[in-house]
Parts: sequence; structure tokens; C-alpha cells
Amino acid sequence: MRQQIPVAIVATFGFVMLIQYFVPHPFASAAYSKILDWMQIIFAAALILGGVTYAQSHLKKIVQRREGWAYSLLALGALTLMLAAGFWGGIGQGSLFMWLFYNVQAPLQQTVFALLAFFVASAAYRGFRARTFESALLLGVALIVMLGRIPVGEAIGPALPDLAGWIVGVPAVAAKRGILIGIGLGSVAVALRVMLGVERAWLGARK
Amino acid sequence: MNLAQLDRRWIFAIIALSVALPLMFPIGLTGEVSPGTRTFHTLIENLGPEDVIIVSFDCDASSWPEIGPVATVLLRHVLERGVKVVGTSFLSEGTALGYDLLATLEAEVGGEYGGDWVYLGFRPQYVATMLALGEDMQSEYPRDYLGQSTRDLPLLQSVKSYRQIRLVISIADDTMPQYWIEYAGARYGVAIAAGLSAVMVTTFTPYLDSGQLKSILAGLKGAAEYEIMRGERGAGLRGMDAQSSAHLAIIILVLVGNIAYFMKRKDT
Repeated sequence: MRQQIPVAIVATFGFVMLIQYFVPHPFASAAYSKILDWMQIIFAAALILGGVTYAQSHLKKIVQRREGWAYSLLALGALTLMLAAGFWGGIGQGSLFMWLFYNVQAPLQQTVFALLAFFVASAAYRGFRARTFESALLLGVALIVMLGRIPVGEAIGPALPDLAGWIVGVPAVAAKRGILIGIGLGSVAVALRVMLGVERAWLGARK
Repeated sequence: MNLAQLDRRWIFAIIALSVALPLMFPIGLTGEVSPGTRTFHTLIENLGPEDVIIVSFDCDASSWPEIGPVATVLLRHVLERGVKVVGTSFLSEGTALGYDLLATLEAEVGGEYGGDWVYLGFRPQYVATMLALGEDMQSEYPRDYLGQSTRDLPLLQSVKSYRQIRLVISIADDTMPQYWIEYAGARYGVAIAAGLSAVMVTTFTPYLDSGQLKSILAGLKGAAEYEIMRGERGAGLRGMDAQSSAHLAIIILVLVGNIAYFMKRKDT
């Protein structure tokens, strides 16, 4: 029963959403709007559930003094601070919440993201070797694209940006298009399997 | 010095200098404007004061240094054309950044909140929201970002759904434009364009080729090209100096690394 009811709900709403797409009747449109409202409500509940699970997981780590518990303390502290700031002073422009966002969260995130450049450069220096024909090809292509995407590449000659553009626009896009078609077909297959109750992994492990 | 075993702190120092020095002492590098950028420029040039567009800030704070210049130069152009803007966001961090940018640029052109632009704010479930915007905008957003009733905003008296929207621009560092294409574009037929981080170009070029995306403006290079077209010198062109020298530094490091590798292999 614990498996059959969720599958029945998913199948019903899956097929209703699929059919209503092709039915221009006002009833179908009204039902569609109502379902969209419920999607928002369910998602908001899922957000709260996610927050509670996050807090529980870190709290457990702190209580059990597991490795890295200090980071969990920091994570919970930050969560509590932002929640308190939001509830206390609101989240409008000029609030403490926004001050923390602009002056702590955003610069920290940007700094962490910027560190990628250093690690990419270090990894490229150590690992980007022309050991085989394939790796030499990859290396050559990467160098052409990197040079072709900056003004220096244009200064070297107009062929370089054109070649870089061709690499990005033709072979890379061809591969990407194949991946996208695969994802599309896979998504349809998985959706049908879930709606028909063939795929049940999302229901969790059976006891 | 054994180049094959070069201490990575040297590499970090080279990258730090290659980024910081051009920002402190600008070189003023410019380049050719690509056809893609010209297409986006034309797309905006074809809009006027009678048009309303949606601008969705679907990005995180982490990528704002790259995506911010794209958003800035695009929106400045949009607002100078007198186009009305409905702002929204499907990522919480993009919400505040987007409002801040729109408010600053609207102040530059003298735009009035409620009449020339509105900011709907954040919605967490983007698929449901994109679909709902095609049905009834005010039901989906009863209140705007500032807490005002959307039924009282003059701009939204005439804008009820995608039917009154000429274009959606998604400012994104991830795959959010794909959802705009799939749900707003495919179902409701609204035109979609995207301001992207450079790494997302390959992902979205197939949609450009198929006509599902009207145009793409990507990364600092895209922002710099757009600034050249508009005769501005903003964060895009300033960033191109640093990006160019960082690219060159990495290219040189990779070449040196390979030379060191082959020299070592020859010795052994």
C-alpha cells in the first residue's frame, strides 16, 4: 500500500498533465492552474523539510563530535544568523539580512569561485600533457579556443578566432546536441516508467 | 629549478599577478564584435517603449563578476530604448542582485517603479512559475518584491501573461534558459534570449540553431563586444584585459609543463 498509493498519485497527475496539454477546454485550464498552485505549495514544504534535515544532520555531527564537527557548527551558526536576521529585520533592501548577503555571503561565494582559476591553472600545468594522440589533440584544441577567445588571438590573425568559433560552434555543439537528444529521450522513457509504476527506485528501499 | 616539479605556489602567484595587474593597470584590449553579439543588439534595437519584456535573474552570487557585466550592458540598452521591464528570479541569490541592478539602471534613465518597471521577486519552483506566468501573472505573484499588491501596479494592469510579453531574457549561469525554452517558449510561444556565463555557450548553441533561442550574449567577451557596439567602457572591457592575460598565462604554463615533461621523458 505504501508503494501503490504514491504510484497511483504520480500516474494520475502525470497523465492529467499530459492530457490537459492537448485539451483547450476551460475546465482543463482551471485544473491546470490549480495543480500549478499545489506544485508551489509542495515545493515550499519540501524547502522547509530540506532545512530541517540539514539542521538535524549537522546537529547530529556536532553532538557526536564526528570529524569536521567544527565546520558543522559554523554551518549551523550561519544558518541561524541568516534566519534570525531575516525574521528580525525582514529581507528588504537595507535590512541586516541584505547587508550580510551583500557583504559576507556574496564576496565569500565569489572568492571561492575565483579560486577555481588557481586550481585549474595548477592542474593544467601538471596534468595537461600530450602523452597520446588524443591528449595532444585535446591540448591543441584547448589552446586554440583559449587563444581565439581573447583579443590577443585576434591580433595574431583572423583565422584563429574563426577556427576557435568553428570548434565551439560545430564539433562541440554536435556532441552537445547528441547529448541533449539522449537526455530528452531518456527523460521521456523515465517519466513513462515512473508513471506506469515500472520504475520504483524513487519510492526508497523496500523493507 | 626542476620545472616538472614546480611548486604550485609559483603557479598561483603567476595567475594572481596575471589577473590583478591588468585590473590595476588597464591595457585597453578590444576585439572584433562577433555576429552573435550583433544579433542580440539588433534584437534590443527592435524593441521600443510600447514593448514589455521579462528579465529573469537566474544566477548565483558566485558568478556575478562574470554575468553582472553581461546583465548591465544589456539592461542599460533595454532601458535606454524605453522598454518596460518585469523583473523576476528563480534563484534566491539572483533576486537581490537583479533588483539592485535594475533599480540602479532605472534610476540612471529616470524610470518609475510600477509604471516603467516592476520586480516580482523570487519563486522557488521555477517550472510551475514559468507555466503559471502564461496563465495569470497576478495570481502567481499576488505581491511584488517590495510587498506591494501587483493588482495596484500600473504596468501590470495591461500585462497579464506572456501574451503581452515581447521577449524573455534569462540572465543565467546555469541551465535555467532551457526551462524557459521548454515551458515558456514551447508552450506559450514567447521569444527567449539569454545572457550567459561563457561556459554555457555550447549547451545553448543547439537551441540558437533551432530558433528556440533568439540570441545569446555570453561571458565577459560578450559583454565587452556589446560595450564596443554601444561605445561604453564598462566592466566587460575592463575584465577582458584580465581574462586575456590569465588565458595567456595558462597557455604558457601548459606549454612549459609539456616541455618539462618531454625533457624529463627524454632523459629517462
